[in-house]
Amino acid sequence: MNISIKCTLLFVVVQLATANSWAQLKAIQSERLLPKDAVTVFSINNISLLQKISMDDLVNYEFMSEVHQELFDGSTSGKTLKDAGLDFNQRLNLFYGKTFTHELTGFTFGVSDKAALFEVFDDFQVLQSSIPGLEIYGTFFNNLLIKDNKAILIRIEPTMDYIDEVTDSIWYARGNEMPFEFFDEAPQEDQILNEQTYEDNSNNNVFPEATENPAIKNYYELRDSVQVVLQQTELTRVINELFLKGINLYDSDPRFAAQLTHNAEGAFYLDNARNLDKSQGLWYFQTVLPTLYKDLQELYAGNVILGDLFLRDNQVDFEVEALYGPALGSIYAQMNDANFDKNVLAYIPASSPAYFTYNINLQQAYEQAYKILLPLLSDEKNAQIAMNVLTLELLNEFVNKDALFDTYKGSMFGTFNGVKKIKTKKIIFDYDEETFAYQERETEADADMPVFTLGFSTARKDIPEMVLKHLARLTSRVQRFENYWRIDNAILDAAPLYILNTGKLLIFTNDEDLARNHSAGYGAQALGKKQSKTASKSGFMYGSVDITETLGRFPTEVLTPRNAEIISSLKGKSGRLELTSSETTEAHTTFKLSYSYTGAESTGKHLLDLVNSLYLIYTLNP
Amino acid sequence: MKYLLLFLLFGLVSSCIEISDDLTLNNDGSGTLRYKINLSASKIKVNSILALDSLEGKPVPSKTQISAKINEFVRLLDAQVGISNVLIEENYTDYIFKFSCDFTSVRNLQDGIKLSLAQISNDKYSTSAEQFWLSWDGNTLVRTIPAYVTQQIKNYKLDNEESLKEGVYTSIARFERPVSTFENKLGTLSKNQMAVMVRTNTFDLKSNQHLLDNTIVLTPR
Repeated sequence: MNISIKCTLLFVVVQLATANSWAQLKAIQSERLLPKDAVTVFSINNISLLQKISMDDLVNYEFMSEVHQELFDGSTSGKTLKDAGLDFNQRLNLFYGKTFTHELTGFTFGVSDKAALFEVFDDFQVLQSSIPGLEIYGTFFNNLLIKDNKAILIRIEPTMDYIDEVTDSIWYARGNEMPFEFFDEAPQEDQILNEQTYEDNSNNNVFPEATENPAIKNYYELRDSVQVVLQQTELTRVINELFLKGINLYDSDPRFAAQLTHNAEGAFYLDNARNLDKSQGLWYFQTVLPTLYKDLQELYAGNVILGDLFLRDNQVDFEVEALYGPALGSIYAQMNDANFDKNVLAYIPASSPAYFTYNINLQQAYEQAYKILLPLLSDEKNAQIAMNVLTLELLNEFVNKDALFDTYKGSMFGTFNGVKKIKTKKIIFDYDEETFAYQERETEADADMPVFTLGFSTARKDIPEMVLKHLARLTSRVQRFENYWRIDNAILDAAPLYILNTGKLLIFTNDEDLARNHSAGYGAQALGKKQSKTASKSGFMYGSVDITETLGRFPTEVLTPRNAEIISSLKGKSGRLELTSSETTEAHTTFKLSYSYTGAESTGKHLLDLVNSLYLIYTLNP
Repeated sequence: MKYLLLFLLFGLVSSCIEISDDLTLNNDGSGTLRYKINLSASKIKVNSILALDSLEGKPVPSKTQISAKINEFVRLLDAQVGISNVLIEENYTDYIFKFSCDFTSVRNLQDGIKLSLAQISNDKYSTSAEQFWLSWDGNTLVRTIPAYVTQQIKNYKLDNEESLKEGVYTSIARFERPVSTFENKLGTLSKNQMAVMVRTNTFDLKSNQHLLDNTIVLTPR
């Protein structure tokens, strides 16, 4: 075989081998602009799916909210992503990250037509760049950095705590007094404290000399200046890392780089270890218990969540792999080493719009956690922790763990059975015709109540029974009926709670129908064979949600604004969300979230809908 | 003002609320105002709200905080010129709240409420409280619904039209002598001809906040 044939064959073999993964055919480009501090990344590999998505639709997504001010000003009207000069041969990577001092959000993408791009990003001003080939543009909030055919739109915000810390430090170093005690709820203009002295600190090269007359800056003006300088300093650091030193997430974390080789429409990356590391809520551990904090870090080392998004016929699949370090993995492996409790299936009606099953072995998890965590705690030289360790060890010796974990084994199920009318009492005002004299009258009323059931696996029927018997002696609100217990007005002081103690399950519900008519299970009306099999084969957890029936009726006003956004982002959709999981090993657990839908909306739209929901979930602080 | 139950629950429980204002006016211009809010038909919703830490991003006060704020309002109003016997009944089982006070003139009543609201709410409602909603010349009573109430009704969400239609606002004016005429076509005269009642549902009141306005002329003394 001559050399030219060998070369041709080699070329064909290489092409065939790599064609299985079209993602690999793409040159790695826009992902090399992802800052290494990005903790969460969504990469949309096949952004040609989004060509027909209008820019107006895009900027309405929550994942664009941090960077969309410049876009949502009419410049996007009637335009699609295709018109925006994006290179559809490169990935679109949305990221969120944080350091101890800053948060950064944005996205990276390829640029095919810069003129078209700036018709959309029309508010950006050219800024000076000292790096050859790098173009820097900025607005009040965001910066756009373009080099060759790659771009990053980034927003950097110092954390409030960091701004306060630096501002306070400068404020007091300059000999000023405490600024806040002078302010009431509505401060008068003449009460705002101005700086009293100002000394230039030539050693401090982070903060430039204040412009004009810094001596008259009050606390809040100083704080604003500090915020701008911190923002600029961090931006410079990120620019230098990306464009001078070549440091980026793709090259820093091989797990992320490997994820991008998958033949999927999208990829997801969440570094839980770094998320924990940068969590502001753990400052107490970091400062007061540094040894324990270090141990916690080691426990969480290697804790990464990696995911792939696949578009299939009328379905978006999100396959996630949670990777653990050995210590944490051993706890999860023991915890999830539980047989599926088939008793729960009888209590999930086939008509249930949403339900979940969760199977864990709490006793094994406790034993393993005790083995792993107690030595960490015991090493800590802290009086409070030492007392807690002593208490824990004494309880471990004295408590009958078999009785405890037989009563509460850890496995559970839950169902949402829709919204039903329940009978309540209400008072109405009556007025007599002669004098309009007023009186009150009690009457029956109907109220909407979401119907929930929550059941726990148990092997000790006697213990809950003992507790309920004693409660019934204490109050007439607790009553025993043939197959169930009823606690009047237990739910929101208005509706009864029913407790079914079957011997295998302890079930709490506000569903009177379940208590009165189905205390032995729903029988033929229970979950069908196919769904039962899917749930029972689904590792440690399974969940199914009919989006229209469940999320559409969810009262978002009772949630925090961020959580409400998650639910609202899915409202109005049709279809079903299904969560399945694999067996858990010490190294990992695999989850799969499937979003099946009907209707004529484009797959790109559904992909963005799901990305948006996931973005909201994963950017919540831990 | 955020803790004042009246307004808080107006905004949150836009359904199945019953409000009654009952004004007794003596010939000399003194009288008694009774104001009742009945949320018993919405108590599941109210209880679920009070069980939360926050709602729509704003903190939800506890019953203790609500009660403290109501009593602060009562204390402030009781100290106003021409106002006496300020009483409040709070029923946190059925969520019925009854307020009453005596006044020496309708001007004192309106000024007293306005000043107390301004003090308790850091002037939040002072602009709308500027308006007078009662006038009495000895023979004719002209009354509207106070702007700080209609503003809250205006803020009702229209996402549950049926529930809003179940809400009721009743406005009663009682006198020491018979009524000669009244303008509001929704009004009814008591059989003893000494009182006029106007009722409507909260849905219609949201659409037209002047639905309960009335001018009542009494027979000459």
